[in-house]
Amino acid sequence: MISEKLLYKTGSVCPICLKPITAERISRGKEIFLKKTCSQHGTFETIIWRGHYDINSWIGNGEPELPEDLQCPNGCGLCPDHLSNTCCTILNITDRCNLNCNFCLADQDNSKEDPTFSEIKESLYKLIKKDKSLVQLSGGEPTVRKDLVEIVRTAKEAGAKYIQLNTNGVLLGENKQFVKDLAEAGLSFVFLQFDGTEDAIYQKLRNSPLLDIKQKAIENCAEYNIGVTLVATLVRDININNVGEIIRYGLKQMPKVRGVHFQPVSFFGRIPKIPSDRDRITIDELIYEIEGQTKGLIKAENLLPSSCYHALCSFHGDFVIDNDSLVPLQNFRKANKETTSVADPADRNREFIGRRWERPESLKFATVKPTVLKPAALKSEAKSCCGNIHDMDYFLKIAKSQSFTITSMLFQDAGNIDFSRLRKCSLHVYDKEKFIPFCSYYLSKWDVQ
Amino acid sequence: MAETEKLICSKCKKELVLKKTNFSYLGHSFFTDLPKCPDCGMVYLSEEFVKGRMSEVEMQLEDK
Repeated sequence: MISEKLLYKTGSVCPICLKPITAERISRGKEIFLKKTCSQHGTFETIIWRGHYDINSWIGNGEPELPEDLQCPNGCGLCPDHLSNTCCTILNITDRCNLNCNFCLADQDNSKEDPTFSEIKESLYKLIKKDKSLVQLSGGEPTVRKDLVEIVRTAKEAGAKYIQLNTNGVLLGENKQFVKDLAEAGLSFVFLQFDGTEDAIYQKLRNSPLLDIKQKAIENCAEYNIGVTLVATLVRDININNVGEIIRYGLKQMPKVRGVHFQPVSFFGRIPKIPSDRDRITIDELIYEIEGQTKGLIKAENLLPSSCYHALCSFHGDFVIDNDSLVPLQNFRKANKETTSVADPADRNREFIGRRWERPESLKFATVKPTVLKPAALKSEAKSCCGNIHDMDYFLKIAKSQSFTITSMLFQDAGNIDFSRLRKCSLHVYDKEKFIPFCSYYLSKWDVQ
Repeated sequence: MAETEKLICSKCKKELVLKKTNFSYLGHSFFTDLPKCPDCGMVYLSEEFVKGRMSEVEMQLEDK
């Protein structure tokens, strides 16, 4: 029998009753688990790391011990023990949706009444810090609201620096005038649910073949210069093997598509069954799949944890396309979090998102048609057809117009929630005048349908 | 001060001339033409350059 080793003492909840309980990260061989015992409902264990890479070098040294009187998750909103400021604020403007998905973290409810426009306006004015905030309009499906354009305009008037729309894209694909109106109202970018490059994937996850309408949404957004990031919910046996193709699909459409974002499935909201460890897609597994399925075009060393989240919650890679090469801008081994022009990690993260996901005015009519991309290093002395990437002016030009991001966020559910991760969350839901960490807001008992 | 104005090296009293200058940051290297003393090689970095292109490059290379 493989022996267990305690790596870190943390806190979690019982997935059955949601009572806060102590938990441990333990290693068994190369795999890492979160293990916890509820006095009433027994012991639960969830895989959090499969061992493709060294977890200690990924997390880094100095993870702080949890305070003894920590109020997670019941004190969320935010308490003095929270370690990150708000990077992005989610405002849910409806619970309704025009799809009926098998996996839905928002647990769509078409019978529930929407907040009124004046309630939303009041929230926007309260939550927005002028020329700083990034507001994500979310749901349900936010485009089902008839007054969405007016909501975007109001967010802009309230001073939001960036306005993001989290959408399945169906109405953006069907209605070009709607996209134009959203662009004119001040929408910055669209987070487009995009689970794969095959209709069979949509059929399984969303109960409908949606690839054509997704592509239409991408085209319509491009026409009105709205940046699009493709967002894939990854589910074992459905689309984990499509990761490489999703990246290629996005790269081929740069700069219409500004990046790809992966969300390994979490088990809250509506779930078909209690998840087994096999159902889980860990962060190291995803990185391993990205490198393997892109055949090294994206290398693991070019994907880094983000400084305003816990390393087990998020990673990102930042690239530029130079002629036929995909050039990584960061390297895990060389990353230096101490060298930065912006002090607050939440501010730094927000500006990174803004400059990478927005389409600058200069990109309005830009088209870049990458052929077969190959990996390259910025060190390479090779000149491209258009310039030398070491030339400061040329680099600045392509970094702004030909950038592409690979990002990921691994949400926590009742099975794997870890208070050390929760304390570092900078993605906050605004509700009833409180900023609540995302995974705390959506935390729900496992209730199998 | 604009980079096109005449600049004199305070040590060598020579007029600075535009020369290819190399920079490195976070493992990446870049070049651009900057006023440089032909004798001692001292480079003049204007405030406009530091707050402009140089900080833009820094920002582009920094991660989240």
